Amino acid sequence: MSDILKTTLGPLVLKNPVMVASGTFGYGLEYSDIMDISAIGGISVKGISLSPRPGNPPPRMCETPSGMLNSIGLANVGFDVFVTEMMPKLRAAGATVIANAYGTSASDFAELCRKFDDVEGIAAIEVNISCPNVKSGGIHFGVSGKPAAEVTAAVRQATRLPVMVKLSPEARDLKEVARAVEEAGADSVSLINTFRGMSIDVNTRRPRLGVGFGGLSGPAIRPLAVRMVYDVAQVVRIPIVGMGGITCLRDALEFFLAGASAVQVGTANFSNPTVAVEIINDLREYCTNRNIRPADLVGKVEMG
Amino acid sequence: MTTTDNSKKYLKTRIQRVETVAPGYSLLSFECTPPLTGIPGQFVMIRGAWGASPVLPRAFSIVQAGNIGQVLVRDVGPGTSLLCNMHSGDELAVLGPLGNGFVEPKSTKAVLVAGGVGVAPLVFLAEKLAERDVPVTFLYGARTENDLPLKERIENCANLIITTEDGSIGTKGRVTIPLKETLQDQNCVVYSCGPNLMLEAVGKICAAAGVECQVALESPMACGMGTCKGCAVVRPDGSFTYVCTDGPVFVAATIYGGEK
Ligand SMILES: Cc1cc2nc3c(=O)[nH]c(=O)nc-3n(C[C@H](O)[C@H](O)[C@H](O)COP(=O)(O)OP(=O)(O)OC[C@H]3O[C@@H](n4cnc5c(N)ncnc54)[C@H](O)[C@@H]3O)c2cc1C
Ligand SMILES: Cc1cc2nc3c(=O)[nH]c(=O)nc-3n(C[C@H](O)[C@H](O)[C@H](O)COP(=O)(O)O)c2cc1C
Ligand code: FES
Repeated sequence: MSDILKTTLGPLVLKNPVMVASGTFGYGLEYSDIMDISAIGGISVKGISLSPRPGNPPPRMCETPSGMLNSIGLANVGFDVFVTEMMPKLRAAGATVIANAYGTSASDFAELCRKFDDVEGIAAIEVNISCPNVKSGGIHFGVSGKPAAEVTAAVRQATRLPVMVKLSPEARDLKEVARAVEEAGADSVSLINTFRGMSIDVNTRRPRLGVGFGGLSGPAIRPLAVRMVYDVAQVVRIPIVGMGGITCLRDALEFFLAGASAVQVGTANFSNPTVAVEIINDLREYCTNRNIRPADLVGKVEMG
Repeated sequence: MTTTDNSKKYLKTRIQRVETVAPGYSLLSFECTPPLTGIPGQFVMIRGAWGASPVLPRAFSIVQAGNIGQVLVRDVGPGTSLLCNMHSGDELAVLGPLGNGFVEPKSTKAVLVAGGVGVAPLVFLAEKLAERDVPVTFLYGARTENDLPLKERIENCANLIITTEDGSIGTKGRVTIPLKETLQDQNCVVYSCGPNLMLEAVGKICAAAGVECQVALESPMACGMGTCKGCAVVRPDGSFTYVCTDGPVFVAATIYGGEK
């Protein structure tokens, strides 16, 4: 019965195609006492680096029309603490863990992913070459095909785990980047990470974020994200994981129709931590009523 | 699987009453089943049935816990404006209690220092301390006599000293003036909530006087429960601390430096 939602992303098999997006669900454990986190298709945990990172000076976030800006700066506990303190609990909770990895160079990424390879209970690695909030690495790898392919190839060699590469909407040519990471060995691509944005307090004449700029997420970016998923679906064969402003089943369906095989829910978790589970239940009902699987919807937008 | 922790789940509640308690300030009462737990200084995240906008919930200090929860809302923008204009019977989703509250005094006296909407958690604290017969001196600073929401509730449980910037009621000037006098008797703990500049001044005065001081901070928040890492504030050594999980109540010296 629940098998109707089973989803295959290359080598990665998920219970269902609805995941939570990195940075919007912590390490998952924060929510494990209010819901069954194993019901979520996959939990992309907060971006992890080899060493802990303190993050950027505050203020780190503000709300904007139909969205929010954040400049967290990948504040995280680092690989060791994640593996020794979080992973045992995530395994016990039966969570499907997607490790969101951040490095400052191709070799840094490779070292981190090699270490993830030995960790029990990680379903896949999501390679974050698209963070707008860090000085080195991050988005710089994601803006053009060559560096993106270099990181992907290095990671591919370092791990046997499924490799999902997270793309930036700021790529000069997103289709080129998507093709480059496919050729370099990515098993899937996820998109989109946030857009770089800015908001200014007109009274103080200062930016509303401590570092001046931040990543824009939420419903404001959804049409842009849907279009980008559609574009990428025209040029790659590997599965696409779509995200950007998803708040309900209807939003998720847009992404399936545009060409995504699975979706991630981000900012919406902040106002309702159980939103992903609600979307999964609604999707199950939708598919059961129509006697279809989510895969039957993928890329089925009718362009007339 | 595990036991359910209601403090981490949004509970559907209904507004029982919205009362304008001063121009721009509304006291929201809402029905809570199960009852809202929580101690003074803890907060809740609230969203109304307002559809897609605002995108994020909003943080408010708890003014009253129990079967009827209360928060004091100052209308400063779109979210607070929607809340101030709600009506009895409207739906409200409430997450909490969140964060760490004030630690009750070991010494015999409490001095509470409030500025603006910072009065909210301190009214709750004053009423709790009065129940235990702890003497409370409540220093309440505002711009004018019109900006003193919940004044009557404080008068009922504490020795209230008011300062206003325009002198329309109480002593003219800042709340730090009566604070210095009050601290001549060192056998007390100071609790403060209000604008950042006021908290810093209060913290420094207490440090100089050798008196323990606890402050309740605000910071922009998305999740309210430790996952987004958006609510960071900087400590004197340059490291970060998170208001929603490490606070909102902090020992003042850990934020502003100085002894105690
Ligand atoms: C722990 C905590 C307890 C709080 N308790 C109360 C309370 O008891 N009563 C009350 O009225 N308000 C309280 N606040 C502040 C309240 O959350 C904000 O005023 C509210 O989020 C503003 O939302 P808005 O949509 O009306 O305005 P926005 O458009 O979001 O903001 C309007 C103005 O307020 C500033 N602002 C926005 N969010 C915050 C924030 N979280 N802290 C400080 N300034 C902010 C903005 O920079 C802007 O200048 C508390 C905040 C925190 C973090
Ligand atoms: C507060 C915050 C933190 C984020 N942190 C990360 C991160 O660590 N790694 C990453 O790959 N993406 C991160 N993202 C991006 C999201 O995973 C997602 O790509 C983006 O927010 C778009 O989806 P949404 O509109 O549903 O939020 C973060 C987003 C937000 C709002
Ligand atoms: S508000 Fe999200 S971590 Fe504090």
